[in-house]
Amino acid sequence: MFSYIGKRLTAGLVTVFFIASVTFAAMHIVPGDPLMGNKAMSPEIRANLEHKYGLDRPVAEQYVRYLANMAQGDFGISFTQKNRTVNDIIVSHFPISAILGILAVAFAALGGILYGSLAALGRGKWSDRTIMFLVILGVSVPSFVFAALGQLSLTLINKKAGFEVLPVGGWGTLSHMILPALVLGLGTMAFLTRLMRSALLEIVHQDYIRTAKAKGLPPVRIFFSHQLRNAILPVITYLGPAIATITTGGFVVESVFAIPGLGRYFVQAIQQLDYTVIMGLTVFYGAFLVFMVITVDIVYGLVDPRISVTKGKS
Amino acid sequence: MSLTTPNQANQPILDVRDLRVEFDTYGGIVKAVRGVNFAVAPGKTLAIVGESGCGKSVTVQSLMGLIPTPPGRITSGSVKFQGREILGLPPKEANKIRGKEIGMIFQDPMSSLNPTMTVGKQIAETLRYHENITFEEGRVRAIELLEQVQIPEPAARVDAYPFQFSGGMRQRVMIAMAIACNPKLLIADEPTTALDVTVQAQILNLMKKLQRERGMSIILITHDLGVVAQMADDVAVMYAGQVVEYGSVDSIFFHSSHPYTLGLRAAMPGHDEDPKGTAKRKLKPIEGSPPDLFHPPKGCGYAARCPHAMKACATKMPPLWELETGHGSRCWLHHESGARNAPAELFRGKLISPQSLTQS
Repeated sequence: MFSYIGKRLTAGLVTVFFIASVTFAAMHIVPGDPLMGNKAMSPEIRANLEHKYGLDRPVAEQYVRYLANMAQGDFGISFTQKNRTVNDIIVSHFPISAILGILAVAFAALGGILYGSLAALGRGKWSDRTIMFLVILGVSVPSFVFAALGQLSLTLINKKAGFEVLPVGGWGTLSHMILPALVLGLGTMAFLTRLMRSALLEIVHQDYIRTAKAKGLPPVRIFFSHQLRNAILPVITYLGPAIATITTGGFVVESVFAIPGLGRYFVQAIQQLDYTVIMGLTVFYGAFLVFMVITVDIVYGLVDPRISVTKGKS
Repeated sequence: MSLTTPNQANQPILDVRDLRVEFDTYGGIVKAVRGVNFAVAPGKTLAIVGESGCGKSVTVQSLMGLIPTPPGRITSGSVKFQGREILGLPPKEANKIRGKEIGMIFQDPMSSLNPTMTVGKQIAETLRYHENITFEEGRVRAIELLEQVQIPEPAARVDAYPFQFSGGMRQRVMIAMAIACNPKLLIADEPTTALDVTVQAQILNLMKKLQRERGMSIILITHDLGVVAQMADDVAVMYAGQVVEYGSVDSIFFHSSHPYTLGLRAAMPGHDEDPKGTAKRKLKPIEGSPPDLFHPPKGCGYAARCPHAMKACATKMPPLWELETGHGSRCWLHHESGARNAPAELFRGKLISPQSLTQS
């Protein structure tokens, strides 16, 4: 087990190294540099700054130095935000994105399993059709539309109620998190609903469900102890990458709700070609994704006994 | 009406009468079971024989309420288990019989077990639901049952998952599950078809042993006449959704009285009339294919393939004739005007009483 995790982590490190290298190359291919934004800058100051940040060195040297620093866990200093290190930005803003992301995924997973089950149980009936219609909406409508609609209806609700039922924007308490998490998780929830429904419908026709019926088990018991667990497997597979993409991809929702998450800094950095921040956040996100995928593979082995993570064959 | 073989002198444990099952499909209504009658004697084995698609599995699955409805539909009939009607029982009542009074095992042991549950839990599940025992008791009983179905090291195997078992072992687990509550009747739907021959024999022996120990009845569905000869006390030969010949195993093999049964025997190697195996005999397949059950023939279902078919066969449904005690055949050749068409090897017996000719 431990040797397996070790192996996967090593492979993960190699992946992260490639991410870092490709990002580095891509960034230097894009014309311009981080100092470009400041127009009133004399050549002397510019030269000084370039020297300070090491931009006057050959690219190869910058690359080696960058990798060396990164290996020590130091992503460098932001070019555009004074006196802020990239590590600092990650430490103070990533937890916000992470909490929001985890809430969103939890909501998506619970909702997906619940609605998928309801749709499968009422197959062909109005409940199924309603849910599947909403699923198509959820998958195809972009999140900022839901974000704006959510805010609008919340404003109306707050007005009707005469007090603030839930805050419309900002960050701080759990009540701030609910609506953004719902909106952020909606697309994933819709996808998981569909996944869950089709998995359940497939399993209904499996021989072991017939066996369970022949044992005289009541339908509720058959559903929970035989159908659900087997149907949940594909959902789990999808969950790992979903956590990573939701956590890192919540920029739009974060900005609509004025949430100080990491996404905002990422977009800002790209606009301003803030080398260190782009590199730092990309590598960080990449590492996070790799980590989640490994985690899910391990969890998968716990849920499905047929998949053994330690042995090559069973 | 159903015939009673000598094995069934006592009250039968299961009595099926005029069972009819249909399926709605895109192509129309399939009349899969068209008026089936049979009975199972206590402690005896009834084999239901027939080729694929003749309605054997549908028949037993509808007894157990396992036909998916829709598209399936039981249109008429009566199934009496220990004298009590079990067709159309409310689900809760039916669940008290399924798994407890009647156990069932299926053809494909590879897919009939839940892949993500240990075999011990799957066995204990039946017990816990029907007998209200604790988790620990269930585990202990599961180990005992695994031992009874001759799985080595049952205490270690109880926590294994189905994928860690071979096909034969899985079928043993299925049997353990089916007999957990000491059912009076075990329905085995082609239990050995998916297994290789050596394992087949082991499974059949195991079933026989358990039957002796527990005195349970068995309905064995198979298309293998060798299995029938080894296991059965009574036999029902099914064709196109009907029982065409019915009787004790000896009367079916030695007094075959339906052309289809003769056809099956001719298609089987190792003929019982030639114990030394000296005479060389070619296996003779039955030409053609079974009738389309979307539009079942008006007359005898076998008429189109029957080498001895007469004019009447295609237009009029033959009644069931009782030839010996408990031995019946649904064939016009037993009518006095059909006698000259009957082949020599067909047992015609003395027509004791042609069962009511109105019987369809």
